[in-house]
Amino acid sequence: MKTYVVQRLVIALLTLLGMSMVIFTLLRLAPGDIVDILFSTAGYVSPSEKQAIMKELGIDRPYWVQYVDWLRQILTGDLGKSYRYDQPAWQIIRPLVPVTLELAALSTFFAVLIGVPTGVISAVRQDTTLDYVLRVFSLAGLSMPAFWLGMVIILGLVTWFSWIPPLTYVGPTEDFKLHAVQFLLPALAVGYRSSALIMRITRSSLLEVMREDYIRTAWAKGQTGRIVIWRHALKNALLPVVTVIGIEFAFLIGGLVVTETVFNLPGVARFLVQAILWRDYPIVQNLVMFIAIVVILSNLLVDMLYGVLDPRVRYGD
Amino acid sequence: MSRVRGALFSTIVIVLVAVALTAPATSQTPSTSPTPQASPTPQASQTPKPGGVLNMMLREDLSQGFSIHETSTISTVWPAMPCLNNLVLFDPLRKTESVDTIIGELAEKWSWQDNYRNLVFFLRKGVKWHDGQPFTSRDVKFTFDMLREAADAPAKLRINPRKDWYANVEAIETPDTYTAVLRLRKPQPSLLLMLASGYTPVYAAHVPPANYRTTCVGTGPFKVKEWRKGEYVELVKNPDYFVKGRPYLDGLKYFVIVERGTRQAAIQAGKLDVSFPGETTKTAAEQLKKAVPQLVVTPYSQNVAENIIMNVKKPPFDNPKIRLAVSHAIDRRALIQAVHQGGAVVGAALAPKPWGFWGLAEKDLVGLPGYGAKPADEKALARKLMAEAGISPEKPIKVEIVTRAIAVYVDMASFVINELKQIGIDATLKQIETAQWHAMATRGDYQIGANLTGIGPDDPDANYYENYACGSPRNYSQYCNEEVMKLFEAQSQELDPKKRLALNVAIQKKLEADAARPILDWKIDFFTVWPHVKNLIPHQSIYNFGRMQEVWSDK
Repeated sequence: MKTYVVQRLVIALLTLLGMSMVIFTLLRLAPGDIVDILFSTAGYVSPSEKQAIMKELGIDRPYWVQYVDWLRQILTGDLGKSYRYDQPAWQIIRPLVPVTLELAALSTFFAVLIGVPTGVISAVRQDTTLDYVLRVFSLAGLSMPAFWLGMVIILGLVTWFSWIPPLTYVGPTEDFKLHAVQFLLPALAVGYRSSALIMRITRSSLLEVMREDYIRTAWAKGQTGRIVIWRHALKNALLPVVTVIGIEFAFLIGGLVVTETVFNLPGVARFLVQAILWRDYPIVQNLVMFIAIVVILSNLLVDMLYGVLDPRVRYGD
Repeated sequence: MSRVRGALFSTIVIVLVAVALTAPATSQTPSTSPTPQASPTPQASQTPKPGGVLNMMLREDLSQGFSIHETSTISTVWPAMPCLNNLVLFDPLRKTESVDTIIGELAEKWSWQDNYRNLVFFLRKGVKWHDGQPFTSRDVKFTFDMLREAADAPAKLRINPRKDWYANVEAIETPDTYTAVLRLRKPQPSLLLMLASGYTPVYAAHVPPANYRTTCVGTGPFKVKEWRKGEYVELVKNPDYFVKGRPYLDGLKYFVIVERGTRQAAIQAGKLDVSFPGETTKTAAEQLKKAVPQLVVTPYSQNVAENIIMNVKKPPFDNPKIRLAVSHAIDRRALIQAVHQGGAVVGAALAPKPWGFWGLAEKDLVGLPGYGAKPADEKALARKLMAEAGISPEKPIKVEIVTRAIAVYVDMASFVINELKQIGIDATLKQIETAQWHAMATRGDYQIGANLTGIGPDDPDANYYENYACGSPRNYSQYCNEEVMKLFEAQSQELDPKKRLALNVAIQKKLEADAARPILDWKIDFFTVWPHVKNLIPHQSIYNFGRMQEVWSDK
């Protein structure tokens, strides 16, 4: 197990190195840079002033020098300075991370809370009215983009209650109830979509397992439906479900752009889009690396969970 | 790290109580939010009340912090203005911006001397910067030497978009601590109007200008308390403000809300008291009014013109006939109805009355390209001009029309494409990202474009020298007419207001007749506030009424 984890971590480091090259290159391939944006807000362009600012920011240096410099900064724990805000990137990124992690975790929680039970019920009651209702419910979730649902929630609240969630981050120690509402609404909007996917995977996986010989044997032994379904069938049907949950969580870390924007939550994804528009390389590079790290770690966690769920997949030393 | 711990803690607790909490929380919290209350339309006779905090919106985070001198965007000017002061300012309580509505701020009095060659400012005494340092004439000299990029200027701006405004300033003299003299090369009465714009605050000489990108040391009615990046800017009352009894408000909070729908919902819900200048279209205002009838909506000119830029150095628009045909072909009134649902007005190079002071009245527009009584006749005239250039709708020329990849630009460009098709110009739309737009336009790397031009003060000098003068980097069409340049100079130096107005009528007619930069319309903003917001009066330009010194809340 230990060897496997170490191997995976080494591979993860190589993946991150590859990612860093891709991020760095793609950003430089995009037309324009921070200096163009600065001049855009001023409404004119002066080539000589542009050159001076590029020099000041260090983006006039050869790309490879900038890349090596960035890697060196990461290794020394210094993420550089935001071009836009003229402040250390870490100071800007640090408050964003917990907001997105909390929202992604809550959304995943709701997705599992809704998706797994409805998937099981749907499979057990296959082709009944309840199954059809739940399948329609899940299809609706897949069909409705989270941002649209979020906007509908906002418009509904303002129309019926003349109220919308706070416009800026409210800390849990500041006002827990308001904090909870601030996160629950977007988490429900996002979680509903993800739950639809989880429901469908749970259903199809469970249906497949329910046709296995050992399930028939369990029924023949006279075991109760609860034991057959929850202990024997579901445990074996969970592998693909866990995979999807892991992928969904990782996706949410960078994929909450519109939800964070609609609910005005100061998270990673919303800020990342603004940073891309501003070509604020230090912020973009480091935020994308953060997302990559979360994706790699959640994949590793999912792989570890395989071993817990299925003894055949345990990783021996 | 407190946010990390908080997030972890709250995630766990929320998970545990989620289902139980959701229903009561959502049903209870609305009752704690501001409840819309009926209130009369603002009245001058009401006695201002001190106290209260105004919640306002920003469409994007501050682009250059509080450094107004390094940007040309309302996203900076609006939240930074309350922290700073000018020498003079357009009276915040009067809608009209003219030389008659200018009041002193850091200058107690001013005087034109030597036949408008010297502008002398007598400064207020006892004014302090937010860090406690005294304000003196040294700060005035520092600011304007930096702006005009004097050879001996002690500091330099990283970007200086309005350097041209001060091209006529020869020297700045400070005979004593409280007197500053702007010595001009030639008379320029307009300079005072440019100094009264929100674009012209005085910076502290003891603070490096770069610091204004992250904080604000001003003399203004409000001090910066906190700027949480991407979230909000909070300002609090300056207790040492030099105007006794001002400001009335205890504070201002500007929330960054990127999503337009959320911004509108926030104002509708009463979470925000004021809309963003230049933000509210006629349709949006009508929707808000329908939802909350007590909201106060004030239409005013944004001082932003929609226009067509045609590169006179590139075919086919190097041919004056084709440029003129384009101007004839575009039905301005139809554009205003189709694209803005009536939320704009026709006009030439300067905003028309009553939205502006200098613009051409409807009667003056008659006979100019695009303003014929019958659009069909204008199109016929355009086709005739195109035929003279050897082009017909049957054998159209293909061009690329560029515009910024922003909805308001694209909507206008799409309308223009349809109009041009009818006279034999087959235009395809090319959207340019903001990062590339100004660079591309300044280089002249385009044929024809659909453009928006915002003007700081409603003054001819600020507009002509920037957008029509030979060699100006913002003269994107690269139109250059020596005869017109002489007229620019003449009106700039004209001391008789009536003669100056007449000169400006002639200049605007000439610019439209030359299709230098055909103006399509002037946009109207429908500024929306809750009725408890008093004395926040929109002006003729979105850039000049953000000081908030006189604003009070009747909550």
